[in-house]
Amino acid sequence: MKSTAYALEPSRGERIARHLTTLYLILIVAVPLLALLWYGVSDGLVSLREALASPVARQALWLTLWTSALVAVINLVLGTATAFVLVRYRIPGKSLLSALIDLPLAIPTLVTGVMLAILYGPESLLGQSFTNLGFPILFAKPSIVLALAFVTLPFVIRAVEPVLIELDPGEEEAAFTLGAGPIRTFRTVILPAIAPAALSASIRSLGRAMGEFGSIVVVAGNIPMQTLTAPVYILGEIESGAPRAAAAVSALVLAAALALHGLAHLIERRLGARHV
Amino acid sequence: MMPLSLRRPSRSPWLLVAVATLFAGCNSKPATTSGATAPAAKPATEPVSLTLGAYTTPREAYAEILPAFRPQWTKDHPEGIEFKESYLGSGAQARAIVGGFEADVAALSLEPDIDTIKKAGLITHDWKARPYQGMVSRSIVVIGVREGNPKNIKDWDDLAKPGITVLTPNVRTSGGARWNIAAIWGAAIRGKTSAAKDSPEAATKLLSAVLKNVKNMDPGARESLLNFERGVGDAIITYENEILVGKQKGQKYEYVIPKSTILIENPAALIDTVVDKHGARKAAGALLDFLITPDVQRLYAKHGLRPVVDEVAKEVATNYPAVEDLFTIRDLGDWKGVGITIFDTGTGYDKALAQAGTP
Repeated sequence: MKSTAYALEPSRGERIARHLTTLYLILIVAVPLLALLWYGVSDGLVSLREALASPVARQALWLTLWTSALVAVINLVLGTATAFVLVRYRIPGKSLLSALIDLPLAIPTLVTGVMLAILYGPESLLGQSFTNLGFPILFAKPSIVLALAFVTLPFVIRAVEPVLIELDPGEEEAAFTLGAGPIRTFRTVILPAIAPAALSASIRSLGRAMGEFGSIVVVAGNIPMQTLTAPVYILGEIESGAPRAAAAVSALVLAAALALHGLAHLIERRLGARHV
Repeated sequence: MMPLSLRRPSRSPWLLVAVATLFAGCNSKPATTSGATAPAAKPATEPVSLTLGAYTTPREAYAEILPAFRPQWTKDHPEGIEFKESYLGSGAQARAIVGGFEADVAALSLEPDIDTIKKAGLITHDWKARPYQGMVSRSIVVIGVREGNPKNIKDWDDLAKPGITVLTPNVRTSGGARWNIAAIWGAAIRGKTSAAKDSPEAATKLLSAVLKNVKNMDPGARESLLNFERGVGDAIITYENEILVGKQKGQKYEYVIPKSTILIENPAALIDTVVDKHGARKAAGALLDFLITPDVQRLYAKHGLRPVVDEVAKEVATNYPAVEDLFTIRDLGDWKGVGITIFDTGTGYDKALAQAGTP
């Protein structure tokens, strides 16, 4: 009863805090986003239609979409596995490994790009071997996937970890006692519990990957129709004096990212609710 | 129990969003016109402040030129002069100035970038009426090759051979890269390559064969050269000054001057609205005059750029050999003309790129 009364008449401090934080979010996130959308569609979608008529733009969007989706799937599978290993198994140097996982978020993505360019470049043994095998990494699509996998690595791992830690070991023990093997236990007890977190984090990593620029511009090769991604295409439109086309394609990428975020949220709520 | 306050969303934030967006939308015009109404010159006791907005390439040259200008200026203006310098890619610098960066003098890589500033209404005078059509330095498009030229690359045609890897930046992200494409295109049109003379189709074919060998399009000339230094590519299409500066720094690559190539001309202009606001018109004009004096032209030459002044060009001729068939952007119909034939969407470059993409 006390909390209801409190909520009906929020204190002065609470009201100020509430308004300040809302205002902060609006100024930092909402206003810039809306300004972009406004600019991108202010000439009645003409720029968007023109931009999408260009095969270069369409190809760039498609490349961004499929590489990001591939990386999201990789994250889903390997990220979940990594989280499981980290939580459940005793491995030497665990804290070091854990620090390694957060590293991709701390490194400027441009540095990530330079790093990969050196590793797979023509002067490195690794780069030479892959090129000699007829499977070049640098300035080819594999480098896009590698860079995206690097910068989005922590997403799924960090989302699944706390769920696994919270998981009641009693449920698994019960499953074992009832005669379920390790695979069946994983499928029926653990997987349903971690699926919402893993899926939604994977989708969030997809959204993050779609916007990645710094590392891609260094490693991808940026050849139109082949290795040019949407963010690099957008830079090209800005640099060559077509800011509206850039804004229009940006708005499209933004809309996709927002939709994905919404989907992630929905999955969290739907799947999450079933197992609470 | 959940506090009720969470279920009672305040409506005001969304109103705020709408208002703020409207505000952002209305306010998007660059605030550049205000300067025109305040031409009042500063009192002569304060040193004049001069801001140079330049492209990155001649940074080292300006590090010597500006200090050399100071005694020239203070001879007649004892109050002195202060310099501020900004170096960006040429296109980015032009956009920064249009967006409100108050540069008194713009020294950029190519004419269209100065025109961007002019079109925004910041340059109101005829900047090409100055000596040398407003140009202060020159260069040419050359082909950088590995030490000893192992792939025996001599001319544009060699870049079209299968199995050669070529570097050139993306023309969409690098305005300067348009020089590279215009050089190949012009040489082809002028009949100095294997392509038939005066045939846009043949020029497109040669260009597409070269582009097919480009495995990496960097965002700018510097990134492109860095990749070349890192061992990427057999050849790089770039500017003579980039190669010369690299060699000065100890890089081992070499370069060849194609039989036919384009003369790069770098403009500089004072920006009317800014100099009037700063009371720096005289100083800016004096700096521009200074840039085309023989001494400064020698400084440009020291840093890899070809001089515009004939007298100095003769002095440094051994370092800057003559080109058999040197043409300018005007020979190709000026920047407007090459826009229509090569760079506009769906024209020469796009066609060449499409051909290069289909095996």
